[in-house]
Parts: sequence; structure tokens; C-alpha cells
Amino acid sequence: MYILRRWWDRHGIRAGIVCLVIAAAWGVRQNQGLFVVEIYQRLSRPFEPEYTQAEIEENAAVLELQQRLIELENQNQQLQQLLDYVKTRPDQGIAAPVIGRSADHWWQQVTIGRGRRQGIQVGAIVSGTGGLVGRVIQVTPNTSRVLLISDPTSQVGVTISRSRHMGYMRGQAENRAVMEFFDKVPDVRAGDIVSTSSFSQLFPPGLPVGRVESVNLNKSPAPEAVIELSAPISHLEWVMVFPNPKVVDSEVFSGN
Amino acid sequence: MLDSFQESPYGQLLLNWAVVIGSVLLCLLVLPTRFPGMELLGVGPNWLLIWVVAWSVNRTVFQGAIAGLALGLIQDGMTSAHPTHVLSLVVAGVLTARLQKQRYVKEDFISIALIVFGMAVVTETITAIQFSWQGIGSNTLGAYPTLGEIWVYHQRIALSSAILSSLWAPVVYYPLNRWWERIKLPDSA
Repeated sequence: MYILRRWWDRHGIRAGIVCLVIAAAWGVRQNQGLFVVEIYQRLSRPFEPEYTQAEIEENAAVLELQQRLIELENQNQQLQQLLDYVKTRPDQGIAAPVIGRSADHWWQQVTIGRGRRQGIQVGAIVSGTGGLVGRVIQVTPNTSRVLLISDPTSQVGVTISRSRHMGYMRGQAENRAVMEFFDKVPDVRAGDIVSTSSFSQLFPPGLPVGRVESVNLNKSPAPEAVIELSAPISHLEWVMVFPNPKVVDSEVFSGN
Repeated sequence: MLDSFQESPYGQLLLNWAVVIGSVLLCLLVLPTRFPGMELLGVGPNWLLIWVVAWSVNRTVFQGAIAGLALGLIQDGMTSAHPTHVLSLVVAGVLTARLQKQRYVKEDFISIALIVFGMAVVTETITAIQFSWQGIGSNTLGAYPTLGEIWVYHQRIALSSAILSSLWAPVVYYPLNRWWERIKLPDSA
């Protein structure tokens, strides 16, 4: 008892502080750094790039036009046979400034300056000028964290717009991704437009993703194509966030 | 007034904690930014690592480990907890404290830069190993990057992170060290 008492007299405050520090850090971890990103959002507000919502929408529309045209032409042929046509993109989006990049080097994430209060939910689709950017994996009251499609853990079911050959795409950092085909001999060539497929569990079909840069048909186990993402992933300033129609029937949002 | 405040032991203790927490917060807030000049191949300096090294250099192994643990947990919250950042930062804190810098090296700035360079390589390697482990452990095809991809990426990250972190290390280390020297390392964890 005496020894315990003496130890406490000597190290009590220290032990208390250590426990306090660890508890505080654990708290920050558990609420996903909410406290830090919220302060960050406040501080970075004066430096947000200034575009009007109209400008962003116009730019995005112009840049996407070519890709969307090819996509829609092909889709149109198919839709003649289909009755249950689902609109590919909801109309009302939320414009959000990109206020930060990933807080370490291994993840391709961005933080955007709009959150739950502005109506963003986990799983929402994020697109930039030119195409798909990623999806929201975590929201705080005024910020959201977006996992970019260029992240290696981010998998998207995609299809070649011209030939409708399917595959899935894995990010390769920066603005490149690798697409693996399901078919052994896919009909694909450099320059083809790539968009999300109806097999994708996280994204609605028909969103433009990028274009094929090179093809390697001899790759084992599946043929591969290198895709150049059409959205400027490495210098995003503003993005549009759309509610995700697939978010309801999917449970895979652990967000790691 | 500040002086009289500093005279009293409790005032000094409080002030020290304010400096510690304030500097950590500052590092956390710089973490998601990519200012021009702070970026190489899309990779920025590892500010938390610099802080852990600055803290551990003149402290005990235990204190280094605690700092690594706390900052690792926070960084987990800010990015992703799988794989964890705790392990790499704790190792960095412990190794730095074990180095016993004052015994071997005199010049401050250079040695800090060198230590940060080495620790950056160590932490990125630990993360890469954790990623590889995850990839091996899971059977889902392609859900994780392949081993080849991880280690190619690791080379790039480790090198640019090490260079940038070591160059920016004095920015964190110098003011903190000046402060801790001034208050002569009071008896606090």
C-alpha cells in the first residue's frame, strides 16, 4: 500500500496526463478527426477559389459534351430494347470547393468544404470538370472526405462506350487507372471512351470516367488497358456532389 | 505580465501545454494542404513525423512512444485506420529517442534533417509492409493494390516524403526546441 502511495505521489500527475493524452487522441480518431477538419474548414474559407456555381456547371458541361455524346449514342441503341431506363445523373448537384488533399501519402483523398448541413451523405457521387472524381466516404457538419477513383483501393465497374465490353478499373495514383477486362479478347483500342457500367455497385451507370491510353491484350490473367482519367484529379478546385441512387441498396460503405 | 505568469510553476506548465497542443494542431492543419514548394510528385512533407522527431530527440523512449501513439491515432482519424499510422509513428518516436543524439552529433539542424530523413523512410516502409500484409491476408481479388504496385509506389513516396520532410523539419524543430530549452524541460510527460 505504501509503495503504491509513493509511486502515486511521484508519478500520479504524469500517469494522469498520459491517460488524458491517449484518451484525447483516441477521441479524435473515433470521431474521424471531426474537430480538426472543422477548424481547417473555417481557416481555409478565405482562400477558397472563387467561381460561381454557374461557371462550374458551364465548364463541366462543355468539357463533358464530347464524351457524353459518344456514351449516349451507344446507350441509345441499347435503350431501344430496354424499358426500365434510369436517368444516369440526378439534376440537382451541390457545388463544393476542394479545401484539402489527403492527410498522408498513401491515400488519394480530398476534403471538400460542404458537409451534412448542406445535404451531402456518405456514398454521394463526386464529379469534377470532365468526369467522375470519386465518392464521399465520410461527412462532418461542414466538410466531407472523398475517396478519389485514382486511389488503388477504389474499384469501379466500367465499360468501353463503343463496344460495351465490361471490366473493372483500379486507380494508379495521379490521373491514371488500369482497367481489367472480363473478356479474354475485348474489342478495345486507344482513344476509346470509358464510362461506369451497370455492374458497378457504388456508382450509377453511364458516368464518363476517361479514355483508353494504351492496351495490353497479352496481360495475364486478364487483358488490361491503361486509362487516362478525364477529370484533372491532381488539381481539382471545385467539384459537384450528386446524391447516389445506389446508396440505398448497398451496404459496402465501411469507408476504409 | 507574461513574465510573472511564467514565473509561477503552474503558469509555465499551462503555457508549455498550450505550446505543445498548439503546435500539434498547427501541424494537423497544414497536413491536408499542398502549397507550392511543399509538394514533390504529389507528396507533401510528413508534418506529424517531424513533430514526433522534434519531440523525441531530447526525451525518453517512453515519451517518444506516447507522442507517436497519440499523433498516430489522430492521423488515423484524418485518413483511414487501416493500415494504422500508430505503429509507424511509435517506431519513429522510440528510435529517435534511442538515438541519443547529443552524444554523437553536435550540429543541430543538419542532424535533425538527417534523422527526419531516416525516419521518413522507416515510417513509409512500415506502412508499405502493412499494406502488403493486408493484401496477402485478404482473398478478395484486386480489392487491394498488388505487391508490385505497393512497392513501386513506396519507393516514390518514401523518397519524396523523406526529402521534403527533412527540408521542412527545421521549421517545426527550431521554434519548439527554442521553447523547450528556455523552460528547461520541466517535469511533465
